[in-house]
Amino acid sequence: MILLLALGAGLVIGLGWAKLRGHSYQIPRLSYLWLAIVAFLPQFFVTYFERTRALAPDWLAALAIVTSQVLLFLFAWFNRHLPGMLVLIIGLVLNSTVMIANGGFMPINPQTVERIVGEEKIASFESGNRIGYKDILLPTDETRLELLADRFLPPDGFPYQVAFSLGDIFIALGAFWILAYQKSTT
Amino acid sequence: MKSQLILLGAKINRQHLQLILTIIALAMLVLGVGAPMDGGGGSR
Repeated sequence: MILLLALGAGLVIGLGWAKLRGHSYQIPRLSYLWLAIVAFLPQFFVTYFERTRALAPDWLAALAIVTSQVLLFLFAWFNRHLPGMLVLIIGLVLNSTVMIANGGFMPINPQTVERIVGEEKIASFESGNRIGYKDILLPTDETRLELLADRFLPPDGFPYQVAFSLGDIFIALGAFWILAYQKSTT
Repeated sequence: MKSQLILLGAKINRQHLQLILTIIALAMLVLGVGAPMDGGGGSR
């Protein structure tokens, strides 16, 4: 959700910027749009679509996520000329690296999960279990490249609690930049 | 005049369609490569 908010914010800023300058919004020229759709499909079925998600064993889910990310990397690379895309690619590489190093899922430690789901619910989760869409519950000392894991949280008491990684920050910034940037026409 | 309006309408529709496709592709990209956990999705 937080990444879609970044996209939405980028679009609003881009539209506002274009209006202020008195010209129409310049839509980012993406190539290979079909590749984004094809790349996302395997991941959609093992993470976001509840019915098929429950059927997919962990090894298949991990394979689908990694395959999807490799194809999405190609899509992003083919569109690297767009302002902001290289920032997004940095985030993609960081996230993919830590996920591949941890069996195809994004590691998250129990303390971080506790902040999001609460003390009672955390007791029902076991170490090594998939949690959320793409995360896997792992203690910090069992996590490879822990610095790149879902380890960042908003301040205590913030109404929207979400755990995110360093890669997610780059992805959100890149996505925002792609839609917000308007080339100078003067 | 009428043909100009039709052309303008076609242009607007094409631009809207292009914007929608661009947003869908970018949404798929960020959802596909991002991995924040906001408590959605449950566990399995």
